[in-house]
Amino acid sequence: MSIFGRLTQEQIVLGLAVLLCIGFSIALPGFLTANNLLNLLRSVSILGILGVAMALVVIGRGIDLSLIAAMAISVAWTLQLIGTGMPVAQAAVIGVVFCLAVGMINGFLIAYVEIPAIFATLAMGTAVYGFGRYFLFNLDVLYFPDHARYLLWLGQGAVLGVPVPIYLFAGVCLLAFLFLRQTRAGRYLRAVGDNLAAARISGVPARPIIVLQYMMSSLIGFVAGIVTAASVASMNTRIANSTFVYDVILVVVLGGIGLSGGRGGIRNVIVGTLLIGVLLNGMTIMDIQYTLQNVIKSVILLTAIVIDTILNPRDEQTAQQGDI
Amino acid sequence: MALLELRNGTKEYRGVPAVKDVTFALHQGEVHALLGENGAGKSTLTKMLAGVVEPTSGEIWLDGERVTLPTPAEALKRGIAMVYQETSLVPSLTVAQNLYLTDRKWFHRLRGIYIAGQQFLQSLNFHVDPTALVSSLGAGQKQMVEIARAVHHNARIIIFDEPTATLTPEEKHQFFALVDRLRQRGVSIVFISHALEEALQISDRITVMRDGQHVVTDLTSAFDREKIVRAMVGRSLTDELYGRHEDRAVRRPAAKTLSVQNLSMGNVVRNTSFSIFAGQITGVFGLIGSGRTETAKVVAGVLKRDFFHGGQVRLDGRAVRYRVPRPAVRDGIIYVTEDRKIEGFFETMSIAENIYLGALAGGQAKSATVSMGEMRRLAQEWIGALNIKAINADARVIELSGGNQQKVVVAKALVQKPRLVIFDEPTRGVDVGAIAEIHQLINRLADEGIAVMVISSYLPEVLTLSDRILVCRQGRIVEEFDGRAADEETIMYAAVH
Repeated sequence: MSIFGRLTQEQIVLGLAVLLCIGFSIALPGFLTANNLLNLLRSVSILGILGVAMALVVIGRGIDLSLIAAMAISVAWTLQLIGTGMPVAQAAVIGVVFCLAVGMINGFLIAYVEIPAIFATLAMGTAVYGFGRYFLFNLDVLYFPDHARYLLWLGQGAVLGVPVPIYLFAGVCLLAFLFLRQTRAGRYLRAVGDNLAAARISGVPARPIIVLQYMMSSLIGFVAGIVTAASVASMNTRIANSTFVYDVILVVVLGGIGLSGGRGGIRNVIVGTLLIGVLLNGMTIMDIQYTLQNVIKSVILLTAIVIDTILNPRDEQTAQQGDI
Repeated sequence: MALLELRNGTKEYRGVPAVKDVTFALHQGEVHALLGENGAGKSTLTKMLAGVVEPTSGEIWLDGERVTLPTPAEALKRGIAMVYQETSLVPSLTVAQNLYLTDRKWFHRLRGIYIAGQQFLQSLNFHVDPTALVSSLGAGQKQMVEIARAVHHNARIIIFDEPTATLTPEEKHQFFALVDRLRQRGVSIVFISHALEEALQISDRITVMRDGQHVVTDLTSAFDREKIVRAMVGRSLTDELYGRHEDRAVRRPAAKTLSVQNLSMGNVVRNTSFSIFAGQITGVFGLIGSGRTETAKVVAGVLKRDFFHGGQVRLDGRAVRYRVPRPAVRDGIIYVTEDRKIEGFFETMSIAENIYLGALAGGQAKSATVSMGEMRRLAQEWIGALNIKAINADARVIELSGGNQQKVVVAKALVQKPRLVIFDEPTRGVDVGAIAEIHQLINRLADEGIAVMVISSYLPEVLTLSDRILVCRQGRIVEEFDGRAADEETIMYAAVH
């Protein structure tokens, strides 16, 4: 066995990110500057926050394809309400409640009606987008109202020279980390993701936990949405129809959180986000086309998964029988 | 003259030897039983012979010449087939399609293979319909198809990995008859088993392994049960394990903990009634398909029964109705599953995390946050109490042996402070040493005044453990015996008729 024998996907991806960093630093002038690095982190922190939301669901052996739609519509609605003169706090509460309702319906469909998560959330995403566009507003893009421009600080401001979205990303990571590690519900979430039948028999309230995980992902999605809107002073609801949600899944899977549930943690999200961040930043400096960037991203994902499979082979026979 | 021989074979996984310097010879036309505890290296040894794994060192000789078997296909070409515990048939295809699946032909005419299959199965005297879907067959019939496939490939040597583990007694008899027929056709057979009686009954020679090493090989007539067990564990355990049950005192029942009246669920549990008492072990014996597991699962809320016609369950005289296991767990009814890999433990978690999760879910730990100190303390306590053998409490459960996995599942249940524990097949796939420990533990629980229900399809286990024996047949508890008065024949008679 070589020294690579015990490397996990997390370590491989971290290694790749470091290698890319070194490569870009040498090849690209202007990459290794404090300014660019902060810019890099700021640009991926939204992706990172969404990654945390998705990670919580994936660890619970689910997937949330309605994440982006719920984020776009709830934040757009909040902006519209503020635009009509509603107090900011009240509008924000309505946005949050909308998100929680979406999460709760997702969770109910998956836990109680027992629809596979991928179908329930796919349909829910379309429904939420359609609902928003038909009932709530006629425009694709909602702009930040002038009297609420102080909120732009959340996306564009900086504290001690570090952009605010980075603090928010760090905060969300910390809270999610503490949730998974230190709370009873976090333990339950991991147990449900690892083995639903065993969790149920052990007396874990499996169904409420599934509902909880989708509500949390929607809520974190709302935070990401506010940061998105504040960064560009508007919310483009078309983002719900883009491939953005797959980027989020890419970050989660790339970081090493298995779709089979129970495995991985917030660290994996951070590592995945870092790699994608470095990659996107480098490619943007090199002026590579968006479509080509997508090809490169997917090749990186496949590479990481292939390397993981080679280094950590799964022996079905041993796994099933456990008898050597 | 040996037909197939492994000389000084060693197989290491990541530097850890699973089989150490073993020499094993199979003679022409014999049935050779391979016995040993879990982890003794039986499976690894046979996998080397079947080309599934390559030996780290050592030689394989077939028909007096040295061969290498890099793949199972190569082994099959030379006439060596392995029949696994988990069937390798394709469930959505018919029997005949499965039989001819790997033939080197681009197209099979369905009618053609059905006729050929019919003739072929008849020539083996197997009563299986070649047009039936494999998914509709019972475990015994599936095994027949597997064997037929091996014979179809002209296998001269067939290796069975625990062939009888999932079979009912009737199917076992059929299987033994089948092994006999194969022997008459000149097929040599290697047969891995945990059931010693079976080995004594059908084999010509027996090899016992322990800790990856060869212990003894001899004619079956030279062995008895006691001698095999001694060779397997290196110490005499039979008396401890399945001692004469007439010798021990039967516990008197204390209060009636559970009373079940007219319990029904679908056509699996049919209008059954029984009681379980505190401070006593109630053994439930039933064949596979008798509804014993389902009855227990309904009681523990794992399965849901009909609201109006489902009957009544009383816990300490109070009527209870559980739709999910959680309230049952909170009330102290704990079900310890028969299938620990599917619904027993959490494979991504450590021993400590598994046990602590039980404590959290059972409501013993009250706060909303978790405490690492508490987790460590519980893990140490239970690892000590149940003698769980692992490097430390952070070892992942999936990496433990079957016996230790079972102990973790039991610890996860007992940490919830149960009043009624239902053990479903507590020693399935567990090595002999751990069986004794688990039996002692079950006895200790009853002595402490807990109501214990043990479901088992292994009669000696039911007889040694139980103070009271219930027999389940066709979804109903049909008879009750005193633990001391009962004997194997009367119980079996009640279970099959």
